[in-house]
Order: sequence, then structure tokens, then C-alpha cells
Amino acid sequence: MASDPNQQTERHGWKWLLSTPALIVLVLAASGPLMIVIVYSFLTPGNMGGVAWEFSTDAWFRVFFRRDIFDPENVTVNQAHLAVLWRSVWLSAQTTVICAVLGFPTAWFIATRPPSQRTVWLFLITIPFWTNLLIRTFAIQEMLRNNGTINTALLWLGVINEPIPMMFTDFAVLLGMAYVFMPLMVLPLYAAMDKMDFRLVEAGYDLYASRIAVLRHVILPLVKPGFIAGSILVFIPSIGAYVTPRVLGGGQKMMLGNLIALQFGQGRNWPLGAALAMVLLIITITALVLYLRAVNRQEAKRDG
Amino acid sequence: MSEPDPTQPSEIEITGLSKTFGQGASAFTALADIDLSIRTGEFFTLLGPSGCGKTTLLRVIAGFEQPTTGSLKINGKEVAGQGPNARPVNTVFQSYALFPHMSVAQNIGFGLKMLGRPAAEVKETTAQMLKLVQMEAMADRKPSEISGGQQQRVALARALAPQPRVLLLDEPLSALDLKLRKEMQSELKRLQTETGITFVFVTHDQEEALTMSDRIAVMSGGRILQLGAPNDIYNSPAERFVADFIGDTNFLTVKVVEATDTIAQVRLPGGMLQSARLPEGMHPAAGDDVTVVIRPEQANLTEGGASPLSATVTHSVFFGTDTLVHVTLVDGTPFTLRRQNAGNPTPPAPGTQVGLTFAHGALQVIRE
Ligand SMILES: Nc1ncnc2c1ncn2[C@@H]1O[C@H](COP(=O)(O)OP(=O)(O)OP(=O)(O)O)[C@@H](O)[C@H]1O
Ligand SMILES: [Mg+2]
Repeated sequence: MASDPNQQTERHGWKWLLSTPALIVLVLAASGPLMIVIVYSFLTPGNMGGVAWEFSTDAWFRVFFRRDIFDPENVTVNQAHLAVLWRSVWLSAQTTVICAVLGFPTAWFIATRPPSQRTVWLFLITIPFWTNLLIRTFAIQEMLRNNGTINTALLWLGVINEPIPMMFTDFAVLLGMAYVFMPLMVLPLYAAMDKMDFRLVEAGYDLYASRIAVLRHVILPLVKPGFIAGSILVFIPSIGAYVTPRVLGGGQKMMLGNLIALQFGQGRNWPLGAALAMVLLIITITALVLYLRAVNRQEAKRDG
Repeated sequence: MSEPDPTQPSEIEITGLSKTFGQGASAFTALADIDLSIRTGEFFTLLGPSGCGKTTLLRVIAGFEQPTTGSLKINGKEVAGQGPNARPVNTVFQSYALFPHMSVAQNIGFGLKMLGRPAAEVKETTAQMLKLVQMEAMADRKPSEISGGQQQRVALARALAPQPRVLLLDEPLSALDLKLRKEMQSELKRLQTETGITFVFVTHDQEEALTMSDRIAVMSGGRILQLGAPNDIYNSPAERFVADFIGDTNFLTVKVVEATDTIAQVRLPGGMLQSARLPEGMHPAAGDDVTVVIRPEQANLTEGGASPLSATVTHSVFFGTDTLVHVTLVDGTPFTLRRQNAGNPTPPAPGTQVGLTFAHGALQVIRE
């Protein structure tokens, strides 16, 4: 059937209008606030918080450097900020690895149950999501405190003589984040395993592979999409985490999220907060791009 | 067809083997008391209807399932408790189960790599295997980028590459269309002869079993009903199930006149006396009613003149090279015979009175 090309374009001409609601939501919800943050990061802090409409790159400068109050010419690297940046990246990376290492056997366990039981196990995995994050974090604090559950039990058993200080350490933050974000790793991993053809595992064994070799050469490559999705889902909220480092890390073990909140709150330096938020965004995107590239390169290498 | 030498050592020795799935009320016996000896270098086929336990038996041999009772020896060594990766046995899966993330060549080399062979050897054997199954041109493709028949070849090459003592094939041709299937049948046979590896082949296609196998085990309900060379199974079925499952057959109820250990004289409807072979271990007495089977091509039709066994033609069906003529015997029993069309240009018209004669040794008594 011959169709008039003009009519065709005309037909498509108005069709895009159907996506207007989605476009509006995208512009308002995603780009709008982002624009505001970008603009704010180039303004001057207001006296009582907020911003003064005066262009300045000072906020961006202060993300990385500091001026001596008495000698403005004396510029040094802002060690405190860099430490927070580094800790955020490092703790998030560790959280992702911990979630992957513990999430894999968990997902495997669920995927190898009889189909009728799997729903129950998946349901159990999501139970922590039912309680408010803050409450759950305080529950962990309750366990880690000097006179909390763990230390009391160990003291009572006579394993230790004085409580092990666990609160306000990187360990506490890691534990909290791994606990909170674990389901975000388990669920995509489970989805990948559920799709996997278990006969491939049998084929692996049949061709003389040991258990470890089957894991490495058959299972891991097949569930890789699950690892990728899970890592992204864990890493992104980890690096911007606020509640967990605030409650379990205290003032000393701050992460980027806390630093940003500080600038918008007590610090009364909204432009600096906005610039830090942009840095967070840039780090996240860079990490994602690097990660996906590394994954693809590995793929290409194996194929070659 | 080369009958393997019975004095040859047996490759797989199965005694008193059974396999039960589940426990208590839901227990299901998939294999019951299997005794089986598969000879080195033979093309052995497990034939039977769906659900009779063929796959289960194959999985027990491969090591994916452990037998509930009984012993299983491969090359003289008891393998109970050993995993599939410790047995010199490879499987060609019905679904092929090729690794989707590896190329054709990597799939084929996988077994050798896992055995820790040097890279040079893996590469060389892979190249040989690619040549053997004529897939050299597609070595670098992924399984998703080749056709079903080609996947089938790769699965074969992958299982053959580590040079197992035994190759297990679970209905490897069932997913292919008829033409490709015929091609692969002769290809499989060629590979088996060339490599000298023992093949244990599962199918529910009787024709496939008859044309390819050195020996066939006919299974039903988790048991082996009869084991023998294709012509034995076809010409001397011991049970109604076997006779019915393999080829078209006429069943006639006849009276025994006298019987020796191997032969019985029986009286057909209409009074004709014929000798019939007896299955092993069956000793009917004179006067007993037994069932005999007669293959359609073992009966001949005579037109005109008196005959000791007369019948009436009901209808004929033309099949190109031959015609199936359906008749009823004097006592009303339906009977089918196959007549070659060469030299018999016109089939007899319905209602024609004809006589039946049988080829020598056409009658076989079966157990009910
Ligand atoms: N894991 C299992 N649990 C319970 N029952 C099983 C299991 N595997 C097989 N069975 C049962 O054992 C019987 C034999 O199954 P099997 O797969 O060996 O049949 P088959 O002869 O290969 O049939 P088909 O030609 O359809 O492939 C079937 O009734 C099946 O339901
Ligand atoms: Mg089967």
C-alpha cells in the first residue's frame, strides 16, 4: 500500500503531543530542581541562609580549598571536605562489595528453593523495608552501643572485659548501610538467577568443571546483569546516604549527604551545599560510567 | 549391521538399580529394578513412551541423580556417589544447554579446559571437533547466532571433545525438522563409528531406534521390557506392549496344538495350522489360548482359488511403494497386510474373497 509521505509526517507530527505529560514531569521533577541547584551553586550565601543573587564561584572554590580567615591569600586544600568525599566513595564501594558478597548466596538460596517457597523467602527479604529507616538505624545503634546488646552479651559471656567501642566508626556505618541496602542487591540478583537455565549448571558439571569452576565460568557470567543492576542500586543511595552515617557515624564519620545537609542547615551556606550536591552528582555519574566501561571491556576481552 | 562381540567387556554395568523420587505418600518410582549391560563401542538405544523413565536412567548414568538402590559400574568401576564431573561420560542435552555467553569454539573447548589441558591442546582439539561437525566457519559466533541444527552439532562436538568413554544423548534430534533429522541421524551414526565411543541414545521414535541402533532396550513404566538387536525386537517382540509400540502389528488369538521349548504349533481361525516362535521362558500347554503377532508385510494375499485361510477385503489404502489391505478373517478378526505395488497394479476391491499365506517364521507368540 502506497502511503503519502506528507500524511505520514503529519500523523507523527501531533503524536509526540501524547508524551507531553511525561515531558512535563521530566522537566519539572528532574531538570527543574537540578537547574535550581546548579544556579544556586554559583550564587553568594545569604545572611540568614538562602542565597543572595550575586554571581560567585566561591562555593565551588570552597568545595576543594580553604582560605585562612586572617590571611585570605593563604589558600590550602580543604582536607576536611576531601576526607568526606573520599570516605563517601570508599564506604559506598565497600557497601556495594559487602552487599554483593552476602547477597549472592542469599539470592542463590532463594532461587534454588522449590517455586512455592520462593515467594515466602522474597517476602522475608523485603520485611526490613516495612519499618522506617530511622527506626531500623536506631535498632542497629541499640545493638552496637557500648552498653548495647552485643557488648552486654560479650561481657556477660566473659569474652571481653570492657565494651568494644563500635559506634561512630566506619564499621558501624558500613554495617548499617549494608543492612539497609542488601535487598536492593538480592532482588536483581534473584531475578537474574530465576531467568538462568539451571541445565547450564548441569552441563558445566558434566564437562568436568568443579563447583568453583561452575560458579566462575557459568553462574557468575550468567547472573552478571543482576550484579550490575544491584551494584548501581546499592552504590547510588549509599554515596548520598544521610540517615545511616548521621546516626551510626555521628559527627566524626560524616558522609557527603551529611555535609550537604550541614551547609543548608547550621552552616547557612546554601551555595556551598549546592556545589557539594553537584559534586555528588558528578561523582555518581563518573563512577557509573567507569563501572559500566570496565564491565564492557571485560566482556570484550573474554570474547576476543 | 555389526553386532558387537558379546565377549567384549561391558562399558556400563547396571544391576538391581531403582530410582524413587520423593518420600512417603508422594513417592514415585521412576526406575524399577533395572539390569542392563551396555557393551563398549555399541550404539545403544533406550526406547519408550513419554514418562517411562528414559531421561531418569540417562541422568543416573551421567551422575545428575543418584540411584535409590542398586549398583552402576562404568568401565568396571563402581561410580555410586561420584558427581558428573568425575565420570568419563558426557551428555548431549535435549535442549543442547550451550553456554550462551561463550562462542561456539569456547563451548567446544570448555570440557578440555576444565580438565586442565594445555591451551595448545584445547585449541587443536577444538579445531578438530569444529571440522568433524563442519562448523569451522562459525567458530566465533555465539549460540544465539546459529540455527537449531547447528546448535545441535556444537552440542555434539562439545560433548565429544573431551573424548569420553560414553556419550549420552537425550532425544537430541527431537527439535529438528524431518529433513534435518534424517541428516543428523546418519551424521550421528558416522560420528559414532569414527570415534568408537559408546553411545547411549534416548528416543521415543521407533523408526529412529530401529535404523540407528546396535541394540535397543524397550522401556515402559520404569522397567526394561525387552532388550535386543533391532531385528529381534521387531520380529520377535516378547510382549504385547513391545509389539504394539514398534511398527504395525496384527494380534490374533490362537489355540496351541503342541509346543516345544521354542516353537508351538498353533491353530488359526479357520483351522489352518502354523508354527509360531515362543518367547524365552514361556511354555504353553496344548489347548491353551495364546496371542500371536504377525507383521503386515509378513502376510501374502492370494486371489482366486481355495485357501486354508480365507478372508474378505474391507478396504485398501495406497501408500506409494505399497498398499495396506485391510481384511476380516472368517471369525471376524480384522487383519492388515502390506502388499508391494510393484507387480500388483490394482488393489483388490472391497468384498473380494482372498486367501492369506504367511512367510516362514512370521508368527511370534507374545506374553500378555
Ligand atoms: N525430579 C523428579 N521428581 C519427581 N518425579 C520425577 C522427577 N523426574 C522425573 N520424574 C518422574 O519420573 C517419570 C519418568 O520421567 P523421565 O523424565 O525419565 O521420562 P522420559 O521417559 O524421559 O519421558 P519423555 O519421553 O517425556 O522425556 C515421570 O513420570 C516423571 O514425572
Ligand atoms: Mg525425557
